[in-house]
Amino acid sequence: MTGISQFVRGMLAILLCYWAGEFIVILFQLPLPGALLGLVLLLSFLLLREREPVSVSRAGQPLLKHMALLFIPAVVGVGAYSNQIIDNALGLFLAIFVSTLVSLGLSAKLGQYVLASRAK
Amino acid sequence: MMSISDALLQLWDSQQNYFVSSGSLSTWAWIAGSIIAYVVALKINRIGKGSPLLHPIIIASLLIAFTMWLTNFSVFDYREHARPLQWLLGPATVALALPMFNQWKAIKHLGWRLIVAVAIGGVVAPVLAWACVFATNAPLAIQMTMLTKSITSPLAMETSRIIGGVGDLAAVFVIITGIIGAMVVPGIFKLFAVHDQRAQGVALGSVCHAVGTAKAIQMDELTGAMATIGLCVNGIMTALVLPLLFS
Repeated sequence: MTGISQFVRGMLAILLCYWAGEFIVILFQLPLPGALLGLVLLLSFLLLREREPVSVSRAGQPLLKHMALLFIPAVVGVGAYSNQIIDNALGLFLAIFVSTLVSLGLSAKLGQYVLASRAK
Repeated sequence: MMSISDALLQLWDSQQNYFVSSGSLSTWAWIAGSIIAYVVALKINRIGKGSPLLHPIIIASLLIAFTMWLTNFSVFDYREHARPLQWLLGPATVALALPMFNQWKAIKHLGWRLIVAVAIGGVVAPVLAWACVFATNAPLAIQMTMLTKSITSPLAMETSRIIGGVGDLAAVFVIITGIIGAMVVPGIFKLFAVHDQRAQGVALGSVCHAVGTAKAIQMDELTGAMATIGLCVNGIMTALVLPLLFS
């Protein structure tokens, strides 16, 4: 099988999981991101098959590797909120800069205790 | 529960909503421009030896902002035109099942301890961040958005929309959080005397999502694998729990 047809098949599998997730969320009016349900569907499918089909990873890996590209619209779009950001600059600074440092240290420290009893 | 045909119709509507502008030439021009900006940003990042400060998202966004300024194009227009790119975030989120599947053995081996370790990061980070914006009287929408700042952007954007936050702001909070974390992490682990690579990885993944995971992969293979787990497990837990608490 050629690379392209594997890519297409893998992408189709990912899209089907995505649409199924969105569909279920709409149908049952669940307060969840549809894509999250899609993730769980794909994971269950992979666990049932007990191996990763080449097609799915061929389509999925580029999406994961270049996810940064997909965030550009959101990051550029933040210009639309510059007023709110300036109005709340101190709180945002504390929350994003200071609290991140403390959270990282604290959760790694606590995690070390929790994981300590289990050998590598 | 709504009828199956209504749900299908609504799904169709929500999907094609991402492509309403796809008939116009400037949509494709902006998408092509975004891709070019991203490729240039990757090059610059490589020249800067992968420094988190030169994160491709930051550089690419600055390039786009500069182009918008040159061409007198508004942020609102750009966002409209770039919607097909944002649509791809859905499938990209689904693809996160791949690293999760690859780490499944490690997840089973560590069992509940791993879940607890991830949950610690998953609770500590948003609560501390929320406390900061709450203490400074930020509007509720910003407080809600801040709760999602430690999970991977596509989930954060969707989740903050569901709980009354702002999707676009979530993406920015998330990305800056990741960059800051990746920059300071060696010093922080030294300061807190954390030597266990598994704990380091889990904290990086659960507090600093994908950007932290990329840093963890640079540090060590085991650290990277644990960060991948932290990223995926915390993303799922937070995206499940927050809507149940707040919607």
